[in-house]
Amino acid sequence: MNGVHDCGGMDGLGPIRRVSNEPVFAHDWERRTFALMLVANANSYWNIDESRHFIERLDAVHYLQSTYYEHWIHSMEAMLIEKGVITQQEVDAKIAAFSAKQGTQQCR
Amino acid sequence: MPVMRPDDVGLMVREGYPLKLDLPIEPRFREGDRVLTRNLNPHHHTRLPRYARAKLGTVVRDHGVYPFPDTNAHGEATPQHVYVVRFTAREIWGNSAAVTDTLCLDLWDDHLDPAPEGR
Repeated sequence: MNGVHDCGGMDGLGPIRRVSNEPVFAHDWERRTFALMLVANANSYWNIDESRHFIERLDAVHYLQSTYYEHWIHSMEAMLIEKGVITQQEVDAKIAAFSAKQGTQQCR
Repeated sequence: MPVMRPDDVGLMVREGYPLKLDLPIEPRFREGDRVLTRNLNPHHHTRLPRYARAKLGTVVRDHGVYPFPDTNAHGEATPQHVYVVRFTAREIWGNSAAVTDTLCLDLWDDHLDPAPEGR
């Protein structure tokens, strides 16, 4: 798939910003996302190549504007919905519940 | 369906998911063989980057047999050999690249054809 993920050799994306002493996980949700990925693999919901293709199929603009673990969580969400493990309604309901609890619309 | 257990976690984090397959499949290429990557532009997944299509390289190592990602992403393992293929930077990026630089990619049998005679 000739998508934006295949950016080897592309110019104009700006410098790579390096963070000294970068933590393994910048946020707690990233740690949980990593654990969820292990569970999804171990339970054979998908394989590594399938998971990469789900990431490639994210919206191109969103892909370029989002972080590494955002790619993971959004592709996993798409996979679990496509495979019927969870529903979009369940995801929406959870987001609404968390947003209400935190008093914000921005829980991602 | 396999189930993940707490005892599995340490090994999974340390080792990942070994995918190497012990299958008696003949390699199409040997170390030192010159190869030409295919000009693939599939709508499905591929591990062959755009910049490395229709390029000449040299097989420098045979990793053994693994699932073919281009089909494994879509439910078919199609086991085959994976090689380290070395390209000169000039083959990939043209004559402005440094003459001594090289690039190595892990590529599968179905990404490759034999290079034309003498190239």
